[in-house]
Amino acid sequence: MNYLIPLMVVIPILAALIVNIFGGKDKTVKAISIVVAIAIPIIAIIAAVGIQYFGGHDPALLANSLPSNLVGTLVASYNTGIVYVFENIERIFIFLMGIVAFLAVLTYFSEKKEVSGPYLYLIFMGIASVTALMLSNDIFNMYVFFEITALTQVGIIIASSTEDNYEIALKYLILGAIGGPMLLLGIGFILGTIGSVNINDIIFAISNNYVNPYAPSLVIGFALILFGWLYSAGLPPFHTIKSAVYSKARPNGSAILQGFSVLCMLAFGIAMYKIFAYIPYFNTAIIVFAILAMALSIAMSAMEVDFRRMIAFLAVGELGFIALGFGIGTQYSIAAALFQAANEIVITALLFIGFGTVYYLTKTSDTRKLGGLIAVDSKMAIMVLLGGFALAGVPPFNGFQSKLMLVQAALDAGYTELAVLAIIVSVVIFFTFVKAFHTVYLQPKPKDLKFAHDKIPKATVFSVAVLLIICLALGIFPNIVTDVFIPFAGGLI
Amino acid sequence: MMDIQLASLFASGAFIIIGLFAAIFIDNLIKKIIGIAFIEEGVNLFLICLGFKAGGVVPIFLPGMTADWFAANAAYPLPQALVLTSIVIGASTLAVMLALAMVLYRKHGTLSVSEMMGDEK
Amino acid sequence: MIEYIVIFVAVVSAIIALLQNDLLKAAILTGISGFCVAFLFQILLAPDVALTQAIVEGAIVPVFIALAVLKTRREEA
Repeated sequence: MNYLIPLMVVIPILAALIVNIFGGKDKTVKAISIVVAIAIPIIAIIAAVGIQYFGGHDPALLANSLPSNLVGTLVASYNTGIVYVFENIERIFIFLMGIVAFLAVLTYFSEKKEVSGPYLYLIFMGIASVTALMLSNDIFNMYVFFEITALTQVGIIIASSTEDNYEIALKYLILGAIGGPMLLLGIGFILGTIGSVNINDIIFAISNNYVNPYAPSLVIGFALILFGWLYSAGLPPFHTIKSAVYSKARPNGSAILQGFSVLCMLAFGIAMYKIFAYIPYFNTAIIVFAILAMALSIAMSAMEVDFRRMIAFLAVGELGFIALGFGIGTQYSIAAALFQAANEIVITALLFIGFGTVYYLTKTSDTRKLGGLIAVDSKMAIMVLLGGFALAGVPPFNGFQSKLMLVQAALDAGYTELAVLAIIVSVVIFFTFVKAFHTVYLQPKPKDLKFAHDKIPKATVFSVAVLLIICLALGIFPNIVTDVFIPFAGGLI
Repeated sequence: MMDIQLASLFASGAFIIIGLFAAIFIDNLIKKIIGIAFIEEGVNLFLICLGFKAGGVVPIFLPGMTADWFAANAAYPLPQALVLTSIVIGASTLAVMLALAMVLYRKHGTLSVSEMMGDEK
Repeated sequence: MIEYIVIFVAVVSAIIALLQNDLLKAAILTGISGFCVAFLFQILLAPDVALTQAIVEGAIVPVFIALAVLKTRREEA
């Protein structure tokens, strides 16, 4: 039995509880957090691929002790416990999330003298829940961790002590409290039709025609789960609130929040694709929301004057690319979507932390009041610029590779318009980013600009540098991850 | 007379619709939150209805029952296990929302959502 | 017969709770509705869920709402 798989969820939860207990003692809390934050990506790397049946409910072992009237029926093949599946794709995403979390925690420690126990508690709890979301093969278990993720996201905004954060937190929570039950209702419809919440069982029952695949209850279930997915991923109509959430958190918090959103989106996206890909309007529905996400978010980011809102909208717009890959629905496009998701976690973390230094230095995020910051720290400015290039898809960075893959997949599938749209959106992202970069770093410094701090902490520079190196490495050697994604995507179809 | 499962399904639908209406259209924050509690209650009721079996027994395995008889007669216990979790999640979400409502009331002096969000920008 | 009355009371008290101007009364009506649903769970063969529902939705949630109302304002408008 592979004990490292449940430990991936258990360790962050334990760490969360412990840092909360040791709230006042800064040194202990820092030491524990750093050790755990390093441990998460390491466990993800060394754990062997495997399946964890909780409670020993392995269907193969239980088959002999079934009541006689169940032998040979559909129910006999069902999983009776929660199942966690750990494969190479989960390894990549949990590793990237762990790295981002480690760097965010490091940045948080360097920028704050006294650390807050509850804030770290929320970060670790969130990491545990998104890890469980990725691993779980059980839609109800996913719903539980979806709710925990939503609550931790709200908590991170509340703990960030920025202006108007409570209003945004409440708005996000109310929308979540509508989206969550809708998701549960969808799960209820599937459970009522099929009698199991395990994804493999559902696929087995549908593909072997034990139930009518076009039964209205399944289609309604799909619609409701899609609604929950839109909320968790921040696709329209939730893009405004999602970007507001990013801009209200601390920079390191935003980096983690974006990681949470991407993993939530992926976990539910993969589950939906596995279960519902046969429904005729599945692809159309997802493509429509993807296009709306890209167009609306990018348009809104171009109009913003607050650079944190601008980056937040760009981050939400990038999520549209992931959805687009899922919507096109070929092997290559899904692999491109997964690759784009992996890049997204790294690049937006870089941009949030990198642009966060501007806020750290000046305590303002209004681009009209900023300028000339390249004189303060030119290294950071260049790294942020390169991160923006990665976001917009400039070679040799990873964003280029994944967007190229996506455009090729769209062309191969015959969606020429979507390929053109993706390229146009990338170009607009590039211009928006360059405009923001120019106003913040290059234009002459306004006279009334005051500095709260005069130096950027070394740990922050280190974090951004590490993220940039990952971007470059994935850009030059995309095979590291695409070799995993392409077979996985092939297995989905 | 309608059977009890169908009647409960209608009740759960009524709860969800009432709750959605309150959460979307009522301006008062506390009532919005009460509406959300009703949505959750409706969804829980829906899930419990799925597991109901007319003329069945409570899904607790007592001494003296055989596995075959139990499998044929007991209500389906999976939705019940799910609802236990979902009730607790609902209550914790509600508690966080109420705490936020109290903080926001102290800040703005009103419980009206439109006024609260209005003076934000 | 009693189960149909319980369903009726549950739905009607939910509606009245939302029409109330006094938020404290709304909190109490939420509790009544929660208790009725708990009773319904008992009829629908889920006694363990009924127990949890009676405690959480019947007692804890109304108390939370009532506390929030006492800390803020009692009238709706």
